[in-house]
Amino acid sequence: MGSITKQGNRRIGSSIGIALCWAASIAVAAVCLFIIGYLVFQGWHAINWHFLSTDPVASLSEESAGGVRTPMVGTAILVLFSIVLILPVAIGAAVYLAEYMDERWWITRIVRIGLETLASVPSVVFGMFGLAVFTLGFFKFLSSSGTEGGSMAFGRSFLVASIVMGVHILPFVIKVAEEAIRSIPKSLRQGALALGMTKWRTIRKVVLPAAAPGIATAVVLGMGLAAGDTAIVWLTLGGTMTMASDAWWKFSNWLPVLRGAGSTLTTFIYFNSPAGDGNSPGAAFGAALVLIVLVLVLNLTAQLLFRRGSKAGS
Amino acid sequence: MPAHAEAAVLAPVPGGPTAIDLKERVRSTASDQFMPYLLGAAAIFSGLVVTLLVFFVVQKAWPVFHAEGLRFITAGGWDTQLEDAWNGSAFFGVRALIAGSVFSTLGALLVSFVLGLGCAIFLAELAPAWLRRPFETIVQLLAGIPSVVFGLVGLMVVVTFIADRMVPGNSGDVVTEIPIGGACLLAAIVVLTFMILPFFVTVATDSLRAVPRSYVDGGLALGMTRWRTIMRIQLPTAAPGLIAGLVLAAARGIGEAIAISMVAGAIAFVPNLAHGPLYMFLEPIRSMASAIVENGGEAMDVPSIAAALFGLATLLLAFSITLSMIARWAFGLFSRRMGVVSDRNL
Repeated sequence: MGSITKQGNRRIGSSIGIALCWAASIAVAAVCLFIIGYLVFQGWHAINWHFLSTDPVASLSEESAGGVRTPMVGTAILVLFSIVLILPVAIGAAVYLAEYMDERWWITRIVRIGLETLASVPSVVFGMFGLAVFTLGFFKFLSSSGTEGGSMAFGRSFLVASIVMGVHILPFVIKVAEEAIRSIPKSLRQGALALGMTKWRTIRKVVLPAAAPGIATAVVLGMGLAAGDTAIVWLTLGGTMTMASDAWWKFSNWLPVLRGAGSTLTTFIYFNSPAGDGNSPGAAFGAALVLIVLVLVLNLTAQLLFRRGSKAGS
Repeated sequence: MPAHAEAAVLAPVPGGPTAIDLKERVRSTASDQFMPYLLGAAAIFSGLVVTLLVFFVVQKAWPVFHAEGLRFITAGGWDTQLEDAWNGSAFFGVRALIAGSVFSTLGALLVSFVLGLGCAIFLAELAPAWLRRPFETIVQLLAGIPSVVFGLVGLMVVVTFIADRMVPGNSGDVVTEIPIGGACLLAAIVVLTFMILPFFVTVATDSLRAVPRSYVDGGLALGMTRWRTIMRIQLPTAAPGLIAGLVLAAARGIGEAIAISMVAGAIAFVPNLAHGPLYMFLEPIRSMASAIVENGGEAMDVPSIAAALFGLATLLLAFSITLSMIARWAFGLFSRRMGVVSDRNL
């Protein structure tokens, strides 16, 4: 008798457990879909041509607060610059880690530990690091120190923010790129080596082209991280909503703009949320919708590339 | 070496490579010797950049540690000290900020462990095949949502809900010294839970899947139900992997600045259990990371405030380096265990 009731309890226990797992998963999926649905619902009204094509204006009323043109451009500048700056280093490091380094070598271990630690450092600490480094006189050329063009912030500029953001996304890009290179079958390398190609030529002509979709995944993931980060931008790009130069689209103004402060979509949202100084939630929701669409597109692209890459690798 | 001599040395085999190939080969030999150094320099630079980071942050924080020592960590009163610092005072105590970070992260860890374990078991074992891919995509989607968006939605939905439905009318009588307005520890925990959950779920799912099938088959052959094999075989075997996932999630939580700054009230207050188990969660907090973003603007021009903020960054670095060490240890334990069949787990 005793054992029968025990078994009965177990059966009930397992159905309850399984039901709870389903419930937890449904709850998490519901929250995720709710967040996106809520953003679409709230942001939809804000988005129109005027919102996308005008610069932010400091204003107390939401009707005259302007749009998100410079924040969008700011996000684009930051994302492209940070990825372009670190890409050579990231691919070089990934190739070296995957192809040349001996795992038993003590330097290899130190590099791996260093990369893991770097990946675990919070982005707000990267922001402080940027402020510590780029306010040194040696790096004066990266930011405008005076009040020229309306920027007052020394040590804060698009150039500074891009470099700091690049260092922030570096370990993630290296990790994904290294895995992509490692997933290329040995037989391809052996074939190339057997044909008399040297190791570097094998890497350049065979391994890297085969790993290209995986490396592209790494790039797109890094771009998604850079687009979504707020703390680094808030600290190292300055809190101004507009660009250093009003005529930022003129090519001749490229240097003051890059050396000046500005904003991205993320800092625009932070500034305009009810918790920030701007306090116009409508504009914040509009910008959040633009941002989430951008990030989702980047992440989905990364997933598609990743699937293509793993198909090619197998 | 003249060209013809080169060809004689390198192409002795009839029917071998043509002369053009040989020239290519000689050229790439040069880059063969050169490239490993260049690539190695990139790798070593990437691995060592974190020491630069630690050096600069600690160096900037040195004045505050030198002046105050341990009092920096043990003393409270951050908000008033910040006001005073504009007038020349240079004393800081960040106990309340540490408490804010630790309370919010521990709370979020607890909830996301329970929810995330359910999701991981679902993904690894229970989900029908057609549901796996969509659910994985949803988890990755959640991981990709920027923290400022979490903050915005948390502020408009969670904080509003707490303010309207949960804050009792007499809250001012219970906690007189601070305003209770919905932005609170509970809101921080709710928002942080869903921010760190996907990272735990990803690692936990991988750990559960890494448990060898034969372990589970053995349990099933002995008449265990599917659920019992999960609870008694897979979870204990995957435990170090789960711990590693939890630790990584904790590292994300402790470093989260923006979302917490938006939903937690931004008052350096230590939630007090003596006010009652519910009130405690309705009280505002300020975390170390959020204090940095909130004051990292103009206030950085005041040297003492800048040093204090770098002190906070140093504490965050210490937390994240410790957590990543624990995670590495747990992963090592996990990969060693995957090779060994342990009777204890059965």
